[in-house]
Amino acid sequence: MTLLELEGVTASYGPVQVLDGVSLSVPEEGAVGILGANGAGKTTTLRAISGTVRAGGRITFDGKDIRGMRPDQVAALGIAHVPEGRGTLGDLTVRDNLRVGAYLRKDRKGVDKDIDYCLDLFPNLEERITSNASALSGGEQQMLAVGRAIMSKPRLMLLDEASLGLAPSTAKNVYDAIRRLRVESGIAMVVVEQNANLAFTLVDSATVLETGRNVLTGTSAELKGMDEIRRAYLGG
Amino acid sequence: MNRHSRSRKALGIAVASALAVTVTGCGNREDAGRSGDAAEGAPSPGITDDSVTLGITTPLSGATAGPGTCTVAGVTAYFGMKNAEGGIEFGDGQTRTVEIEALDDTYDPQQAAANYDQLKDEVFAMTAGLGTPTNRAWRDAAIADEVPQVLIMTGDPLFSDTEESPWQLGFVPIYQNEGEAFGELLASSSGNHRVAILSQNDDFGAGYVEGFKSAIEGADNIEIVDELTYEATDTSVDAQITELANSDADVFFNAMSVTPLVISSLQKAQQLGWTPNWFLPSNTSSPTAILEPGGAAAFPGIYSVSFSKAPQSPAFAQDEDVQTYLAALPQYGNYPDPPAFPHCQWSWMVGATLEQVFMEMEEPTRDSFMEALRGIEGFEAPLMLPDTSVSTTEDGQPAVSTVVVQKYNGRGYDTVESFE
Amino acid sequence: MASSPKTSSPKTSASKTSASTTSAPTSSATTSSASSFRQRPWVRWGAPLLLVAGLAVLPLVMTEGANDTLARIGVFAVAVLGLNVVMGYTGQVSLGQIFFLGLGAYVTAYGVQSGWNIVLVFVLTCLIPAVAGLVVALAAARLGGLAIAMVTIALPIVGVPLAKRLSDFTGGSQGLSARFVEAPEGSGLYDDQWQLYLVLVIGGIVFLMTSLLVRGKYGRAFAIVKGNENVASSMGISPYRYKVLAFTIASLIGGVSGFLYMVVVQYTSPETMSFGHSIELLVAMVIGGAGSIVGSLLGGAFYVIVPDVTNAIDPSLTALLQGALLLAVLFVLPGGLVSLPRALMRRLRRSPAGRGSAAPPTTPSSTPGSGTAAEQSETERQGHA
Repeated sequence: MTLLELEGVTASYGPVQVLDGVSLSVPEEGAVGILGANGAGKTTTLRAISGTVRAGGRITFDGKDIRGMRPDQVAALGIAHVPEGRGTLGDLTVRDNLRVGAYLRKDRKGVDKDIDYCLDLFPNLEERITSNASALSGGEQQMLAVGRAIMSKPRLMLLDEASLGLAPSTAKNVYDAIRRLRVESGIAMVVVEQNANLAFTLVDSATVLETGRNVLTGTSAELKGMDEIRRAYLGG
Repeated sequence: MNRHSRSRKALGIAVASALAVTVTGCGNREDAGRSGDAAEGAPSPGITDDSVTLGITTPLSGATAGPGTCTVAGVTAYFGMKNAEGGIEFGDGQTRTVEIEALDDTYDPQQAAANYDQLKDEVFAMTAGLGTPTNRAWRDAAIADEVPQVLIMTGDPLFSDTEESPWQLGFVPIYQNEGEAFGELLASSSGNHRVAILSQNDDFGAGYVEGFKSAIEGADNIEIVDELTYEATDTSVDAQITELANSDADVFFNAMSVTPLVISSLQKAQQLGWTPNWFLPSNTSSPTAILEPGGAAAFPGIYSVSFSKAPQSPAFAQDEDVQTYLAALPQYGNYPDPPAFPHCQWSWMVGATLEQVFMEMEEPTRDSFMEALRGIEGFEAPLMLPDTSVSTTEDGQPAVSTVVVQKYNGRGYDTVESFE
Repeated sequence: MASSPKTSSPKTSASKTSASTTSAPTSSATTSSASSFRQRPWVRWGAPLLLVAGLAVLPLVMTEGANDTLARIGVFAVAVLGLNVVMGYTGQVSLGQIFFLGLGAYVTAYGVQSGWNIVLVFVLTCLIPAVAGLVVALAAARLGGLAIAMVTIALPIVGVPLAKRLSDFTGGSQGLSARFVEAPEGSGLYDDQWQLYLVLVIGGIVFLMTSLLVRGKYGRAFAIVKGNENVASSMGISPYRYKVLAFTIASLIGGVSGFLYMVVVQYTSPETMSFGHSIELLVAMVIGGAGSIVGSLLGGAFYVIVPDVTNAIDPSLTALLQGALLLAVLFVLPGGLVSLPRALMRRLRRSPAGRGSAAPPTTPSSTPGSGTAAEQSETERQGHA
């Protein structure tokens, strides 16, 4: 059962065509990676899904056409975008940042429970629960951004470069937690990642973008075996 | 250490603000405003056997600070001079000095009302303040509290309506007075004249035009050939000037209060080759600030109105009034420079007029003061031009309702008797 | 913002109680005892009751001048509060707040002069500025960024000549007087006392409702929009809608302040809404403390008291003195006057070397003591490990 489907998606920033027919299929509870060099269109693909850039082509979520919807409408359907650079609210405490994620939810008890779950998933956050988000380290901010996305109880999470700027051990911690989340919650994921090694610890399949097009698509196992992938993204 | 002193400063400010709430209230303990008038014949607030205090609220900072400062300086200088001579003998036989208490309202009606509230129980009367909205803001309150609000600097006719404003009186001519003076001069001319009118679309412009039209009513020799308006916010009136130029009028009645627009109008008319006789309101007729940059020499006549002598004019260099005034202004009025606005002269005249009132006032009460104020007729205050005077007996007119028409002579103005 | 003072997990809440009962290191002992003091029911209910009682008596015992000053503070505190909703809480620069005060004042003056029922006048004084604000916001909020600021600059700049021109409604540049608030017969009150009561009651309700608003769900949405519009979108919050909502509420509150302006000043003219006053309101908001209810009160006090104080010092130097005062406050307290207690507290706490600085006492969420409590639990755990 397919949850998210992209077909021939195009997008441009002014005169620059960034996406030139991207296709992607994410099954229910599945996780798909998007690999590629800088400027290949990975982040833009996520933005096209979340409605933060105007896109052409077809984007369906749960069988419903979502292309052209406003970001808040897309979010309301259950798609949580964890943007690059995290976008935590620095003036708010960790707890309030988490509550922000649950903004559209009405079940107070469930919210409290999910906050506990997030803190269990990211023990670092529990220690900083009343600190302002601006006082957190990069890794903690990334955890907070993921936690906030969890709080919206999404069916699909869009993760953009979750390892960016983090020390390798921290990045691994973050990915370990996300993998645990995936197993325990069944949230489907689209994972954009420069570090393909990390990505392959999380996703079942992946697609490689070059100048806004799919050039390769396969399961993690298939892709890991390919020489060109090794050379380009796996450091040898 | 630095931080320490810093936050102490902050604390100081906080304490000062807190104190201020109490301080601003404390002066008014007497409850005079609440309980209405005091017993018959008992002295009003702000007057003792040897002094009387007058209050002024006027803009002393902001865009109108220039004329506002003058409204304080003139009257302060006048009474400073009188105090130095020993004071003024009042109608009740006491000799008193006159103190001035002035507050800044920044031309904000709300602040003017607050200033009034602060002053009303300390001063005997309010006077000389500049501005229509700033005086209107507390007019009702002054009536309710029976506090005189007199000889103020506004052309708003409301303040000169005795029935509506029993405790008020304006000092300077209302807009209608100015328009009327020029209309009368024109109507008395022997020739026929075609008049074009351009006025500001508000009560200022309407007042001038109303006065002008009332004066030429029934005069067969005057014909209004075209009449246009503009908005005070317009940045150009070239279109209006072009249309009016086509009317080929020989007289242009221009009720305009915006300095740059007057200059550009003068220039535009010259470009079009239209050089009528031109009338300007008193507040936009400055030779140096407007007429020279506008190239006014090209016109056969630029007319305006006035009631006060121009202290810088060589014609009055030997004038005794002017010499006394120019000496007193820096010495007693804390106004070091030569007066830049006519409001300084007007304020000086307010002082002289109040002196007359004080001399007639038989009891140290606000009632007696108002009675004496309303009885002045034909008082030629110092610095007044011949044929103008202070008269307070006519209802509906401010203290000064007579103005003389003057004509630009290339440097300053000369009074004219007839329109050629 | 997060209203429930519940702590995150049994672990921390348990150690929190232990922190306040068992002997804790001196640095946090003061804060936890202070917070438990604040949490006692009689303090939580008693303090506001005491405040209300105090405000109820105040007009009766103060001088007329003090009553009048306090009433004017109320007027501008409400105006600053409205500005805070759109700017302090939602982060949208508005330079047009005075326009809505002026509009409210004109609606009130016109309604009173036309002899309309005063309740109807009040309702219109809320509605008309709110609708005007809504229309402006629908257009401006779409533009985003500084465009809103530019559009709002235009409001007072257009408002003043418009008020002069529509003289049938506004009295032109001579303005409108409306002396309509007189103490009811038999109440035994002076007019100034009655006016202050009106300001306290109406202003108090506005403050109460606004503080509920900004602490509730909408307030959280405002804060998210202010913090990061993209995050807001990704949480299902339309930044556009909430900006429009905040602006509309700010305009409504501005209208109410215009009504109060007429209660106290009883006169309005085009000068009332001149652009300079809009800037002064903004300055008052920053000085009082942006994004703060108490800061709005302090801002109103600043707006009213400073001109009186500078007048008392030297009326010919008011502008200079006000500028100097503004700079002084901004240098010493960049967070506004409302941050004064926090700044003092921080300095007090700094003296004995402790680690109690993590939780500023006015953090908008959770209980004041929980920050130190959480840290406490950490040290304890380490201690027992």
